[in-house]
Amino acid sequence: MTDLAERGSTAPTAHGSGQTAGMEPTRNPQVTLPDLIEVLLNKGTYLNLDLIISVADIPLIGINLRATIAGMETMLEYGMMRDWDEKTRLWVQRSVARNFPLRPGEEVIAKMAGGHFQEGFSRIWRPGNIYVTNQRLVAFRRDPKEILWQSDLSDIMDLSLQGERTIGGEERTRLIVRTSDDATTMLSAAAPQRIRELVIGSIGLPHVRKGSGPESSAHESTAAGAQPPEAPPAQREPDTLLREGHMWYLERRAQGQIWRAGHARLDTRTGFTWKGPLDARPAVNLAPAEILSVEPAEGQTPVGHSNILQVVGSRDRVYLTSADIGEWEREIAVLVNRDPGSAHTSEAENGA
Amino acid sequence: MALEIDEKSLKHGVLTLVVTLVEVIQEALETQAVRRLEGGDLTEEEQDRLGEALMELDEAMDEIKAEHGITASVEDLHRGLDDVVDEVVDKLINPSRWAEEEGKNIT
Repeated sequence: MTDLAERGSTAPTAHGSGQTAGMEPTRNPQVTLPDLIEVLLNKGTYLNLDLIISVADIPLIGINLRATIAGMETMLEYGMMRDWDEKTRLWVQRSVARNFPLRPGEEVIAKMAGGHFQEGFSRIWRPGNIYVTNQRLVAFRRDPKEILWQSDLSDIMDLSLQGERTIGGEERTRLIVRTSDDATTMLSAAAPQRIRELVIGSIGLPHVRKGSGPESSAHESTAAGAQPPEAPPAQREPDTLLREGHMWYLERRAQGQIWRAGHARLDTRTGFTWKGPLDARPAVNLAPAEILSVEPAEGQTPVGHSNILQVVGSRDRVYLTSADIGEWEREIAVLVNRDPGSAHTSEAENGA
Repeated sequence: MALEIDEKSLKHGVLTLVVTLVEVIQEALETQAVRRLEGGDLTEEEQDRLGEALMELDEAMDEIKAEHGITASVEDLHRGLDDVVDEVVDKLINPSRWAEEEGKNIT
């Protein structure tokens, strides 16, 4: 009893992808559904449909449908929806920059999770987001709102990547930013490599790296490779390295003593070294011959390990602590008691 | 005549249908994305974001199919749809076919 009266027309679309409507059809290559959709979208399809649904010849429902469907690129070619396209894309840009205090004319180029390592009063990582804009590099925290750190791109003299072992023992790549006031700042980011590329790309290479030592050119080469930068292979001599790891070091300063976190290495050739994450060179450098003895000591430490290791050197005493200080003590003791002339490591390894 | 529908195979079938349709849309989106990239007015950041989003979608679809064990049936349905489209297009672009159909109907 239902009767459909339909009057429809479709605008000419190119039927069949790339096939001319010849008299001899070729079944190969087969026309697939994605092919069909692709042609419809690429050419653009205009549908003009009038439809009346009637029951017992009495029209009940009328439909008047005008539809245009096309790929956005085709739409833009015909000058349709251009404003909307722009607005949509702009909106994303603005929503990325939401809450972020942009200067006039400033645009966000990239945003990602990251943090800033605060120095001075307290030395902590402060999490937030890293923004690269066309004017600045900013570490910004949304809640509570604060610019953790910022620098104009023109003030950035150097931006290098540096591998660092976190307290959890993971290898992370940090961004070391050197600004024109000769201060270095450590930032973390979800994709440090990309930040570096963007910043260096927007300030232009020339003045970056100028005047920076061989150390940063080492970063350069590691940054160029896809692998996360690790200690350069030239420095690492696996046959002489006894132990390596996170270590607290009691540094004596003019104002008093302070425990600093850093990275310690024990090597049969170079002896014991300790280096803070931001230091250019190790703060402690004891050659094997310089170490006279190791003794455990008691004291207050920042992380609650009550065991402190006292390394007595020929010039100085060094106080250290870490989670595995006992093993460090044993290995340093082995190194100290060894005959300084023998360069074999096997003994030390067996001793450990 | 009672129509027996296995509840499990019904779910299976509906899911296959939905996933196949989403896959078709996904393919269309991918070809259009390529066109937009080639069109060249996307910024580098937008290109990255677009690429990543589509890649994530692809991974998610693969996961869904693997999880419900419908990879093979989706492929079948996809091929079936392709065949139907092929046939329809073939009919549309070959007027000589119309005559054949006519002839068939008459006999």
